[in-house]
Amino acid sequence: MAWGGGWGGGPGMGGQHPGATGSTGLPFGGIPQELMDGVKKIVADEPTHRPANLTFQQLPSEAESRRLTLGRMVRSHTSLFAFATVLVVLISVASQAGPALVGYAIDHGMQPGHHSMNVIITCSLAYLGAALMASLFQRWQASVSGRLASRVMYDLRIKVFTHFQRLSLDFFTEEKAGVLMSRMTSDIENLQQLLQDGLAQFAMQGLTMIIITIALFSTNVVLATWTVLLVIPVLVLLTIWFHTSSEKGYLRARDAIANVLADLSESLYGIRVVTANNRQRHNIIHHRNVVGEYRNANMFTGQIMSVYGPVTIMVGILSQALLLGIGGHMVLRGELSLGGLTLFILYLNRFFQPIQLLVQQYNLLQQGRSSIIRLRELLETAPSVTEVPNAVTLPPITGRLTFEDVSFGYLPERPVLEHVNLEITPGESVAFVGPTGAGKSTLAKLATRFYDPTGGRVLVDGVDLTTVTMHSLRSQLGVVPQEPFLFSGTIRVNLRFGRPEATDADIDEAVDVVGLRDLIDRLPNGLDTVVHERGQTLSAGERQLLALARAFLARPRVLVLDEATSSLDLRSETIIERALDRMLEGRTAILIAHRLTTAQRADRIVVVDQGGIVEVGSHEELVRAQGVYAGMYEAWIASGGRDTSL
Amino acid sequence: MSNPRLEPMFHASAPSPAFEHIGEPQRFPGPRAEISRDRNLVWWRRIMPVLKSHRLTFIGAITFSFVSLIFQTLVPKILMSAIDRLTPGHHQPIHGIVVAVLIIGLFAGVAGYLSRRFLFTTAYNVESDLRNLMYEHLTWLSFGFYDRVQSGQLISRANSDIRSVQMYFTFAPQIIVQCGIGVIAFGFMLSINVTLALIAMVTMPIMYVVGIKMRQVMFPISWIIQARLADVAAIVDENINGVRVVKSFAQEAGEINRLADASEKVAWAYTKDADIRGQWAPWVQNLPQLGLALVLFFGGWMVTLGHAPIGAIVAFNAYLLMLQAPFMMLGQLVMMGQRARASAERIFEILDEQPDITERPGSIDLVDARGEIAFNHVRFGYAEGADILHDFHANIKAGESVALVGRTGSGKSTVARLVARFYDVRDGSILIDGNDVRNVTLPSLRANVGLVLDEPFLFSVSIRENIAYGRADANLDEIISAAKAANAHEFIEQLPEGYDTVVGERGYTLSGGQRQRIAIARTLLVNPPILILDDATSAIDVHVEAEIHDALESLLEHRTTLVIAHRISTIALADRVILLEEGRVVAEGTHEELLASVPLYAEVLAQTTAESL
Repeated sequence: MAWGGGWGGGPGMGGQHPGATGSTGLPFGGIPQELMDGVKKIVADEPTHRPANLTFQQLPSEAESRRLTLGRMVRSHTSLFAFATVLVVLISVASQAGPALVGYAIDHGMQPGHHSMNVIITCSLAYLGAALMASLFQRWQASVSGRLASRVMYDLRIKVFTHFQRLSLDFFTEEKAGVLMSRMTSDIENLQQLLQDGLAQFAMQGLTMIIITIALFSTNVVLATWTVLLVIPVLVLLTIWFHTSSEKGYLRARDAIANVLADLSESLYGIRVVTANNRQRHNIIHHRNVVGEYRNANMFTGQIMSVYGPVTIMVGILSQALLLGIGGHMVLRGELSLGGLTLFILYLNRFFQPIQLLVQQYNLLQQGRSSIIRLRELLETAPSVTEVPNAVTLPPITGRLTFEDVSFGYLPERPVLEHVNLEITPGESVAFVGPTGAGKSTLAKLATRFYDPTGGRVLVDGVDLTTVTMHSLRSQLGVVPQEPFLFSGTIRVNLRFGRPEATDADIDEAVDVVGLRDLIDRLPNGLDTVVHERGQTLSAGERQLLALARAFLARPRVLVLDEATSSLDLRSETIIERALDRMLEGRTAILIAHRLTTAQRADRIVVVDQGGIVEVGSHEELVRAQGVYAGMYEAWIASGGRDTSL
Repeated sequence: MSNPRLEPMFHASAPSPAFEHIGEPQRFPGPRAEISRDRNLVWWRRIMPVLKSHRLTFIGAITFSFVSLIFQTLVPKILMSAIDRLTPGHHQPIHGIVVAVLIIGLFAGVAGYLSRRFLFTTAYNVESDLRNLMYEHLTWLSFGFYDRVQSGQLISRANSDIRSVQMYFTFAPQIIVQCGIGVIAFGFMLSINVTLALIAMVTMPIMYVVGIKMRQVMFPISWIIQARLADVAAIVDENINGVRVVKSFAQEAGEINRLADASEKVAWAYTKDADIRGQWAPWVQNLPQLGLALVLFFGGWMVTLGHAPIGAIVAFNAYLLMLQAPFMMLGQLVMMGQRARASAERIFEILDEQPDITERPGSIDLVDARGEIAFNHVRFGYAEGADILHDFHANIKAGESVALVGRTGSGKSTVARLVARFYDVRDGSILIDGNDVRNVTLPSLRANVGLVLDEPFLFSVSIRENIAYGRADANLDEIISAAKAANAHEFIEQLPEGYDTVVGERGYTLSGGQRQRIAIARTLLVNPPILILDDATSAIDVHVEAEIHDALESLLEHRTTLVIAHRISTIALADRVILLEEGRVVAEGTHEELLASVPLYAEVLAQTTAESL
């Protein structure tokens, strides 16, 4: 999946990492040409940001492991938050001065027979001044809240991403990829919106209601009591109803849209299968049904909103009528001034506006809340493989690997390995062979500590892997996965991945050793050629070679190589095997071999089957022993495999 | 049923006339209209047909919205007359007025409810239609399109872009109606006092202009934010998919810093956005207050001169307050419009995409093909790319099995894709039983050509449904037979829920080889007369593959089969080998013949041997 790649920017936007500019040559994406001038003007102001220099610890510090709350996130930017709060209060006050001034002007400047132009002018100027002040405060508030929001979100992005890096491999299943992605994107963006706009709005609307209530009570207690008694209970009940039922609707709609997108995504990724199987019409109908469910879920929420909005308006008008009745009666009896009544009516109008806005902002708040809950869940997911608190740094190793009575299962009730014992001496290369699912790859994953054994121990140079820091262990291991993953960026950046400090000479050496020179020379930009879209511009064999060179450059003491099984043509296979010979020199190596030719290259072959090691020995020994391996070898020769051992 | 191709266990497998099986009933209607095909129209007019197909609810929404607003604008005017009756000197009872306001309130509420009900119905129906239109269009697009577009982008487009168009189309008219209230309110104000009305409204045009100016400045920055968020997303995506690499090289810190740098740029863009917003938004929001201050001053003056009643000030206050929201929304509307236009254009890019592969008029159904394939001097290349096949010429007899052998890039897989007409040839032709594949209907062609692709894609439904993907009506016995033939039955049985295990759920992830076997079973169940295995067994262990071969051998007997493979064991399955080199047939014959007589063949196969120990 390539999320968002094509949105990536034009020149000067993508940064040093051309991740998002990978869309070059694609028909979609990027900033529309007509906006480029405006964009360039804005970006021209941008200072050069200092490159980040953060460190990574497998174990979170105490501060990092505290429960995620909005309050805690904001607290690390106290001064910005305090400033924003003060501004919010000032804005609310300045914006609500109007009706009081109008009421005063009516009572003291416009009463028949007591006209006073001075009062009217003073009140008008005060009104004008309040409006100007409000504008100024709002301007500051926008900047301050914007800064606060972007700093908090910056912190949060790093926090969540750091947690990603701590999580163990078992968490990164295909199914969870989308979930992880949306935590880092839409959930954080929801919070950004909430912090930048939503919370301040919420606070302002709440404050407005309080200020208005105070103003009403200080004008006329009786009428204010009436107003509060008539309006508040209805609004509270209405809002509670809205709150509970819209929450239900929101959850329903969220599940429904997830289904719609899942269905769409599967149909697109599987489009070739869909077409080859003539499933189009079937799928269209299925999609209509899924979209229909989504529509119904939306309608449910729509129904709630259709009631809530207009009812609030209606309550507003009805309460004006009642206020007019009661207040008018008081005016006629001389208990209330006309200006006082005007003030009440004007404030009452403004009383309802915040409520309407609160409703509009409600979704934002709701989304923000569920985003926080989801992020919290993620942050509280403990990695299954982690460091012990007093983990030691593994000193440089010679590369002796020991499996000591190791048992393991991905699911507790289904053991994959049982009581495995194996010793690999420094510099030795060992090939694991056996049927699919026998546990070959699992053994390799235990050696790199992607998983911990459920029983027994795995030791390197006699040290239990669980007692050392991950970094010190893995920086001495090199892994070449079955499907070599390349990062978007140049070939150079990719090769340097395992050892960022590698010099150009080191890179050249790696290129030569692995046999990549031909490819590099053929590419127009050589090492600086950008690898697009997970390396799809390169063939499978070329990607495998790059992965080998990357591992070589990292100079690991122990190399784990999961042999690529699929679609390597013979020529690539040849080059890779030649590269392997160089890579294995003087290194401990585990080869997960799918081809017996590869297995024959190893010093020793370990046959894994049924959760255990069934045979160990060199190719010749095993063939002579006439056991499982000999059988596999025979079958392989019979099916056309080449006997290369002679 | 004397067709020799039909094995007893696949008896019901002859393609139905429609070549497809619709397993589930349609519970919701599809779209009633499409977008306009005229690319010269303004974007919103292109979408109009969809909106028009929901015109009843839409008109209802607008009408009731209008009615509700009229009732609301009446209130301040009535309040004014009440205030006048209460002004010292002309005290009069106001019971009648109170009752009138109560009734107006009730009507406004009911009309408001109806308007929103209709509006939401329209909104969600339009959204559903757009989603379905997009999906249906994507379903029929050719592979040339999918080769150059990233699916992830299409999904994000389908999601956020449809949403933003929907929002605009349903809420814009409502905002416009609300602004229409401005006209009515202005009318009422004029009827109260012409001068005061003009003074009160003086700020509104300024507000509009400022609003326009604001979004002009805001728009580029919102794109910058989008682009930078995409950078962050790309890094996250890479770290999810490349997690093993990051971990095994212990590069966590490096990746965190990479993300931090990208996040810093996002943070800067958001801050900039807030600053620009701060420069403009307060003026838009506070200009009405300026209007109110003017009303107080001039109104008060007129009251002292006896030219206006006190109530007028109250009424004007209420009207300007009422106008504030729509005018503010008007600015928002323009912004929404910009976004919606951009979104709509991206949607159009997809909907305007025409399938390259279409049926010619008068195409015939290919029924129960014998399976003779003739490649007649085929020339082909992808998209604008160079030719991959040059004058590829070969004949495959019905029932024959042929292996295509060649180096990577020699065009083997391309040949497979051309038979199923995933692409069209540039020159020459491909004939099945003498029919040009371009002259037969697409479903019938694909029902006759079973293609097992090199990357076995499974859907996240049960294994049973996955195998029955091409024939939703197959019963369990048929499914099990197919699974057995693909050597998949055994491992499926061992899964906790057997055939009902849902792919990808609860950690029951299948290995590459297992996926390939399910993909093979899926194709076998359809029982096509022509079977193409494109590197379909590459991830399967050699000895498992041998067992599949045993099972396949009986299946291949009366079926035309095209095998693309690297393994000699797989090649050995075929009656005949076609050797490809740079898109041309260089030799044909049995494995043994070629090995004996064609040095290139031996070379291609032997390359590894030469390099070994």
